[in-house]
Amino acid sequence: MKKSTYIQLVLITAALASCNQPKKNDWEDSAKVHIRSDSTAPYTRVYHHNGIGTALLWYYAFRPYGNYNNGMYQRAGYYSSAIHPSSNIGSNGFKAAVSRGGFGRSGFSVSS
Amino acid sequence: MVGSSKTRNGKMERIKITPRNNWQSAVEKLGFGFHTTNIPYWDESVYYSLKMNEVVLIEKATNELWNLCLGAVQHVMDEGLYQQFQIPEWAIPMIERSWTEDHPAIYGRFDFCYKDGQIKLLEFNADTPTSLYEAGIVQWFWLQDFDKSKDQFNSVHEKLINYWKYLKPFLNQGILHFTCLKETLEDLTNTEYLRDCAIQAGIETKLVFIDDLGWDEVEQQFVDLDNQAVTNVFKLYPWEWLLAESFGKNILADKNRALWIEPAWKMILSNKAILPILWELYPECPYLLPAYFEANQLENYVKKPILSREGANIDLVLKNISLAKTEGQYGAEGFIYQELCTLPNFSDNYPVIGSWIIGQESAGIGIREANTLITDNKSRFVPHLIE
Repeated sequence: MKKSTYIQLVLITAALASCNQPKKNDWEDSAKVHIRSDSTAPYTRVYHHNGIGTALLWYYAFRPYGNYNNGMYQRAGYYSSAIHPSSNIGSNGFKAAVSRGGFGRSGFSVSS
Repeated sequence: MVGSSKTRNGKMERIKITPRNNWQSAVEKLGFGFHTTNIPYWDESVYYSLKMNEVVLIEKATNELWNLCLGAVQHVMDEGLYQQFQIPEWAIPMIERSWTEDHPAIYGRFDFCYKDGQIKLLEFNADTPTSLYEAGIVQWFWLQDFDKSKDQFNSVHEKLINYWKYLKPFLNQGILHFTCLKETLEDLTNTEYLRDCAIQAGIETKLVFIDDLGWDEVEQQFVDLDNQAVTNVFKLYPWEWLLAESFGKNILADKNRALWIEPAWKMILSNKAILPILWELYPECPYLLPAYFEANQLENYVKKPILSREGANIDLVLKNISLAKTEGQYGAEGFIYQELCTLPNFSDNYPVIGSWIIGQESAGIGIREANTLITDNKSRFVPHLIE
């Protein structure tokens, strides 16, 4: 039933293997970490919820944030979905133009 | 081989073996990080052995049921049966548009009880099926280590790549976003695996977590974290959750009419209300169990919420006595009643066969077994081979 004898994975092996690292001690629940992603924003404390588990790397990633305007990309800064919105946006108009968080509140996993 | 047990018809066998010495690192190298939580999930201390004629039977049932399901979707639309599915009225145009415009759909998983040579459909995970990576990749690499000479009912990987290639011209202009919940490695793995196959099909992709999806009120479009318009999006996130959340109605307002994969019409098939509809339409089908919306039609039955996940809120009833029952948060939308079909017993292990349909074709199986008659979130994924 299996036609090929060779399977290639181009993305998932490296990406997910990196998620599967043991938790670092400095991310223990007791650690007090304050983060902001925009210099116009205040710092807020982040909490290492138990549910984060092995997906730490993905969860706390600071992603480049920008805008497409007439086909040109304009960098606006960085954004991390792990931290409080007020520490992401500050007075940065680019970031405030779009609302987020309208999906993703109904469950913790779709596992079926 | 330490021991084995057989089904009553003496075909599918459950065979105990010694796991690979390095099995944890072997599966982790594949990117399979959720093999064990507080209980084992990937279990290679056993495998199931099937004969080719059994595989052919499962393949045939899967293809036939898929066709029946498509007929049932058309019937629900023609007869306007949405209320039985508790689908809100405002979502109906979106569902029907996705059907008439033939929006891309890629996969689904039928859950079968296979016993005494008979296959019976328990339910169809048509919208957000998981365990795809275990079925397509992890068990295949297990077989390469265990016995390369053997075959497996598994063409998941090839079919995913081929079907993404087929779908590519039908996508909207722009990249294909992939989205799932944060903080769940299982969902991320399934999503990234599908993205891996799409990349190999030559599609430009990007991952954005579902709670990072933005809505641009001025432009009336969904955007990713770079504020790039979302025009095609694979979502590992159920339609009933999307509709219930604050961005739900924005899907209708979206000026790009983004293609959501799986499409909105899958809401009909992923809802257990489809089971009585299928039975009403196709009572002669050997793969269907009698199922009804009313409780008084059956003496021995399984009561299932029309919307539920991971075996929650299920009640198995034999002669009005509850055999097994699970708790959970589902049931507010109503229940259906399906004739009781207990899973086969292999030394108190109860396997359910998850049979994949990819594109329009049967694509292989993954077997999960539990220690109870209800397959819940404590079930284990067990590999298989063809003897």
